[in-house]
Amino acid sequence: MKTEIVESEQLQGAKALKLNKRQRLWKDIKAAKYLYMLIVPVMIYILIFRYGPMYGIVIAFKDYKIGDGIWGSVWVGLKHFRRLFNSYDFYQILRNSLMLNVYSLVFQFPVPIILALLLNEVKNRFFKKTVQSILYLPHFLSWVILAGIVIQMTSPSTGIINMIIKSLGGEPIYFMSNKVWWLVIYVVSGIWKEAGWGTIIYLASISNVDAQLYEAAYIDGANKWKQTWHITLPAIKSTIVILLIMSMGSMISVGFEKIYMLSNDYVREVSEVFATYTYRLGIQNVQYSYTSAVGLFQSIVNFVLLAAANYVANRMGEHGIW
Amino acid sequence: MAHKKRIRISTGERIFYIVNYFFLTLLGISTLYPFVNTIANSLSSSRAILTGEVVLLPVEWTVEAYRQITTQGRIFHSMANTVYLTLIGTFLNMLVTTMCAYPLSKRYFPGKMLFVTLIAITMFFGGGMIPTFILIRTIGLMDKYGALWLLSLFSTGNMIILRPFFQQLPAELEESAKIDGANDITVLVRIYLPLSKAVLATLTLFYAVGWWNSYMGPLLYISDPDKTVLMLKLKQLLDQSQMAQLHPEEVGVVKQIVAPESFKAASIIVSTVPILCVYPFLQKYFVKGVMVGSIKG
Repeated sequence: MKTEIVESEQLQGAKALKLNKRQRLWKDIKAAKYLYMLIVPVMIYILIFRYGPMYGIVIAFKDYKIGDGIWGSVWVGLKHFRRLFNSYDFYQILRNSLMLNVYSLVFQFPVPIILALLLNEVKNRFFKKTVQSILYLPHFLSWVILAGIVIQMTSPSTGIINMIIKSLGGEPIYFMSNKVWWLVIYVVSGIWKEAGWGTIIYLASISNVDAQLYEAAYIDGANKWKQTWHITLPAIKSTIVILLIMSMGSMISVGFEKIYMLSNDYVREVSEVFATYTYRLGIQNVQYSYTSAVGLFQSIVNFVLLAAANYVANRMGEHGIW
Repeated sequence: MAHKKRIRISTGERIFYIVNYFFLTLLGISTLYPFVNTIANSLSSSRAILTGEVVLLPVEWTVEAYRQITTQGRIFHSMANTVYLTLIGTFLNMLVTTMCAYPLSKRYFPGKMLFVTLIAITMFFGGGMIPTFILIRTIGLMDKYGALWLLSLFSTGNMIILRPFFQQLPAELEESAKIDGANDITVLVRIYLPLSKAVLATLTLFYAVGWWNSYMGPLLYISDPDKTVLMLKLKQLLDQSQMAQLHPEEVGVVKQIVAPESFKAASIIVSTVPILCVYPFLQKYFVKGVMVGSIKG
């Protein structure tokens, strides 16, 4: 008797399972109705304000006129891309973007790693905390403020740096209007703002290293340098690789604000990058279609570079970002 | 006796430690010095600045530059705008980030993968400056803070920081609350949010600093002088003073400024002080945020 009932119940259950897949889905949806109340408005927002502009990219293939709207404007195919690739500006901004990023990569990228290694060797906690607090500070300030200070300090007439040069009997240097010096200022100010902040992530991964490794190495006679080289650096290698991939992915993008604040007419030849070019021609000169093409080119190249860097990292046996 | 247990330090290491401390001290000083010099400039007479006497401390103390800032330039008006922009903006950010992270932290509900994918794509690809600008213009949001709030309504990166916090809360909490008749929103507000205070504080500060420092958004979308924000105003004041220095005869607006250098320095300081006031909090919570982000990344 009993077993029969159980069996028939199981049978019914199985049937119901098959028959009511749709109903079950509906039940799941109903059970999650409050979750949808939360997420659906967000998704609508994302569709309008994140995907909307992606649809707007089609104006890169059209002659966009405000009166005609995105849909109604005339299709012109690759006209704007042809103009871009044939213009002298293109090679200049491409070169500048790559150059500024390579300089940052060579001179700026290693600084937080070295700083983290040095900070890690500091035993006095108060000293360490104080230095960290000071080094992190510029990260919180905007480029408007920092560039204002930089321009003031490098001013040929009243800046403190040139005051020192003059008092030593030298000629004042026009840091911000000389192309070479401007690049130096660009890199140094980047280090000033972000190098201290960049140490946090490395210090975190250094602190995860097992202390026993150092003790064992010490017993085996490894000095500080050897411990750093054979224990600490391999331990933070994957962090370095991930950050390297991310900076590779933005190899042809340079942040707008830093350039916009530091640059001036004298150095435009080396300071104009995609973002400032887009702003100048797009927003100020109302060449919407052309600058949309510029933006599209840039994001495609970014994506390809990111994928390539990620591929290389995976091949090297490191975990990439996907 | 106290040193009995310490590992013996070789001479080479001792030299390294001394050099290390010395180097880091020097680095700290050079990071801080630009700010010190700017403060000194803001409080010095124009004569002292022009002759290069101001190095570390103000020479011929004067608060003239600060007095001028309060009477002209309307920097405090723009600061009030920025406070308003920051308060509302940060509130909206936290609201939407939570609204997005909470459902996505659930193990399953129909359509979750679709939502996650749609969000993930936006991390790798976007419309760019001009199509976004056209969108804002088309829907008539030019010169409205609404444009700024909508465009930065939430950051996917911060959502990714918040989601694992919700995920790691024990499921029993939610189950027992549901048995007592609570729905998902009650669970979120009464249980999840109080338990995530630390990470919520971190994200609030991330967003608030972003709003305080925002420049590009206001540059593109806000042109009404009455609605200008602090960073736009500061840039404008810096540019005007620069012009006054280069071509003193041509500039009408800021002719009254006695010492452009100290005026510039003073406006920089006035804009920096609010950040300095909350810096201890900022540092504490920001460092936490980066740690969390790095573990997940």
